[in-house]
Amino acid sequence: MAFDTAPRPVLEPRDAPLPARADLVIIGGGVIGLAVAYNLARRGHSDIVVLEKGYLASGASGRNGGGVRQQWATEINIRLMRESVELCRSFAHDLGINVWFRQGGYLFLARTPGETARLTKNLALQNRCGVPTRMLSPAEAQVIVPELDVTGIHAACFNPSDGILFPWPFLWGYAQGAIKYGARVFTFATVTGLEPDDGGRKGYSVVTSRGTIHARRVLNAAGAWSPELARLIGVELPNRPVRHEICSSEPLKPFLGPMVSLLATGLYVSQSMRGEIVGGVTLPREASTLDMGSSLKFLATYSRQLCRLMPALADLKILRQWAGPYDVTSDGNPILGEPPGRPNFYLACGFVGHGFMMAPVIGKLYAEWLAGGDRHEIFDRCRLDRFDAPGGVEPLAREDFIIG
Amino acid sequence: MDRRIYEHPLRTFRRGAPLTVEFDGERYRAFAGEPAAVALFASGVDVLSRSIKYHRPRALFCLSGHCGACLVRIDGMPNERACRTPCSDGQVLKGQNAFPASEFDLLSAVDWLYPRGLDHHTMMTGSRTVNAVMQKVVRQLSGLGHLPTPAGGPGALPEVTGRDVDVVIIGAGPAGLAAARAAAATGARTLCLDEQDRAGGSLLADPRHGEADADARALRATDAGAELVSHATALAWCPEDDGGLLAVATPGGLWRVTARRYVYATGGYETNALFENNDRPGVFAARAVGRLVVRWGVRPGARVAVVGAGAYPDALAVELAACGIPLLRVGRDGSERVVAAHGSPVLTALDIDSPRGRRREPCDAVAVWELPSPASEAPRQHGASVTLVEQKGGFAVDIDDDGRTTAPSVFACGDVTGYLGPDAAARAGERAGNAAAHEALGRP
Amino acid sequence: MSKVIVCRCEDVTLADVEHAVALGYCDLEEVKRYTGFGTGPCQGKECLRVIALALARATGVPPESIAPFTTRPPLVPTPLRLFARDPSADDSDDDRDGDGQPDAEELA
Repeated sequence: MAFDTAPRPVLEPRDAPLPARADLVIIGGGVIGLAVAYNLARRGHSDIVVLEKGYLASGASGRNGGGVRQQWATEINIRLMRESVELCRSFAHDLGINVWFRQGGYLFLARTPGETARLTKNLALQNRCGVPTRMLSPAEAQVIVPELDVTGIHAACFNPSDGILFPWPFLWGYAQGAIKYGARVFTFATVTGLEPDDGGRKGYSVVTSRGTIHARRVLNAAGAWSPELARLIGVELPNRPVRHEICSSEPLKPFLGPMVSLLATGLYVSQSMRGEIVGGVTLPREASTLDMGSSLKFLATYSRQLCRLMPALADLKILRQWAGPYDVTSDGNPILGEPPGRPNFYLACGFVGHGFMMAPVIGKLYAEWLAGGDRHEIFDRCRLDRFDAPGGVEPLAREDFIIG
Repeated sequence: MDRRIYEHPLRTFRRGAPLTVEFDGERYRAFAGEPAAVALFASGVDVLSRSIKYHRPRALFCLSGHCGACLVRIDGMPNERACRTPCSDGQVLKGQNAFPASEFDLLSAVDWLYPRGLDHHTMMTGSRTVNAVMQKVVRQLSGLGHLPTPAGGPGALPEVTGRDVDVVIIGAGPAGLAAARAAAATGARTLCLDEQDRAGGSLLADPRHGEADADARALRATDAGAELVSHATALAWCPEDDGGLLAVATPGGLWRVTARRYVYATGGYETNALFENNDRPGVFAARAVGRLVVRWGVRPGARVAVVGAGAYPDALAVELAACGIPLLRVGRDGSERVVAAHGSPVLTALDIDSPRGRRREPCDAVAVWELPSPASEAPRQHGASVTLVEQKGGFAVDIDDDGRTTAPSVFACGDVTGYLGPDAAARAGERAGNAAAHEALGRP
Repeated sequence: MSKVIVCRCEDVTLADVEHAVALGYCDLEEVKRYTGFGTGPCQGKECLRVIALALARATGVPPESIAPFTTRPPLVPTPLRLFARDPSADDSDDDRDGDGQPDAEELA
């Protein structure tokens, strides 16, 4: 089990020229774009170029906490995430790279009867969809996480089949998988212009820092940067970047099974396969920004709340903090499909901080559609025009179960 | 075993009261004031812990609190730096990540089984079942140390203190002390913070300077009016909404420090040379050996190789010879190179390449001199640009003649701008401290 | 052939760095993520310079064109307790949107 010395797929060298044209150019080498690339290439549609403006994992896909859960407030998300969990379980085998997916469950804590009622309502829906979530008393929650101080905790709910994974190898796995089937991935390629050919009917010229490429179709998978990109062809997207901070601790021997989350404040904390305690908290009134700096305010808020919820962690040492952008929409649902008047320009953005866990299933469904196969109902329900034509489209249930 | 030097031709070592510490169930003699890592090494403990992946033996390397090699459990707290923790009577230390013990760890089999390394990304992905079992095993083996269990439970949360001055200097080595003296001499309210237990920085590791010189320079700074604070660690430049602050950890709690000008005199980190088994206990940074012999009066070994070219390793070799320690000088003119270390779990010999061929030299300690790597994280965070220059030791802060960086209000001086050595660092510190104070006071 | 350790916190070897470069991960940030160097207790203090120069040699780019990886606070491992009483902490747990109504009730 020494290093695999056989030739392996590699990213395009920094000085490699872009090809003149491609059937599909995916803008954004985050987990969504790479998942679509892999799934399409695997189906034989491999004339794909992925353009990433930084390095792989430089955006939100490399900055999140790796949570994968099926506890949601809308049926469509619950059903999609059930499939995503299955794809995560087989990822290491299918893609040949370990992503350290561990199903230790998600434990949500409610402090008020109102929060408990919200959990109970979601739980009934989750159970109907086959997710084995159950309500727990504070004492039962403490059995699962003995370090909890349950003072002030009203109730909890727990689904043992939720889990966490390590985000970075997910990206390398999809990238290397896509490349193996013939797609090409260019990093440090920033898109600076998009020129529709015959209004997009004949595709788009994509102008980048590494040259220009003509695409028959374009997928905007640029996450928090997707509004800037869409604006290049006059499409205004309603999603907005919101900075979220997160931190990681010294690695400790395993003691924390589930991801623990306090509903009232958005505090969440889990233990990675390396033993680090990874967690964050919602800072209220965060400005819309692509700035990814860190703040003392975050560290102070997180520390105060975690010292209260799990006093045994007061002496836990923080190793580093960082931030990433949530790509936020007003109804908590993503924006998919073609915007009106821009044929062959596809959207896959607005995932509101849970794009990572959605990527396996979204990548699969998008690839099915773009390969000429089935078009999943989500592509009709999550269209861009739902925001400006109430009544014109069927209203979409708001997903309000957003953490962090 | 006792590696302490009790008779020295030139130096006297003032040791505190004798006391006893416990490591992995054995009791060892120590002296008040000694860091735990020094006390244990002086008493013959060579291996402190095991590494996270291959369970390779770990021991002190930099002896300055930066490298993370001497982490042990101390009185219920995991991952404590043994080189930064003063020993105390009855202190209980435990090695980490070892079964059954740090000296002999069965799990180090993984190091032998995979001599060329283990690719954890691709290992055991061929079978779903094997992969699932592997992940369960990895989860159990992961992490260093167990949850903190401080005596008496988690205590009260410490207070937070605000400090505002004209000039804050981070680091009290030769550059920082000179900057503090120069800044205070202009009348500016000057605060000089240092993370070590006493001011002096690299002077304390240097046979040409030592404690007496460090104390004299610290006295000149305080006489000029500067406030010197030890045990104060800069944690981060925090660009908060209200203009930003420097977060500083002190034994009494967090300090929020604001100043008109910030002077980073953070020096350089010890780094290692690249050769096989370069992490064997017994392989030390040269300045760690300097701290052992100059400050603590402890012999690094029975036969010591001093590796590398420069004024510092030359001075160290002279000092070791004066202590009567058999010596091997390697690579003084750049024609020799260490290619491998031997011994398990601790060093017993080195392979050395020279124009005459490869030879093996027995030794139980190596002092590796590599240029210190500029400790430029804090000024980088504060917006100062850096450039990677091999001859400067690493990512050196870009400055003008007076130590101004590319970030407004931010100065840097000394080895953080590229390795200078103590004398040139002090001259640079004087210029930067003076310029920063003039700017802070609005003088031309 | 035994290991040449470049990051002792995470047991990263020189061969690991060369392997990452061979896969196309040539940026210091990518090498950090692929090999794990600089993510342990020392946060790169000992290894950053060594690996940056090794990367320059392996890729043939001039050292001065290599940027360091982003410095993450805090600069040394620091217990949570130290930050818990900082005045910047947001403590309005029950009313995070500041409208005087407990948020939990509104969401319910």
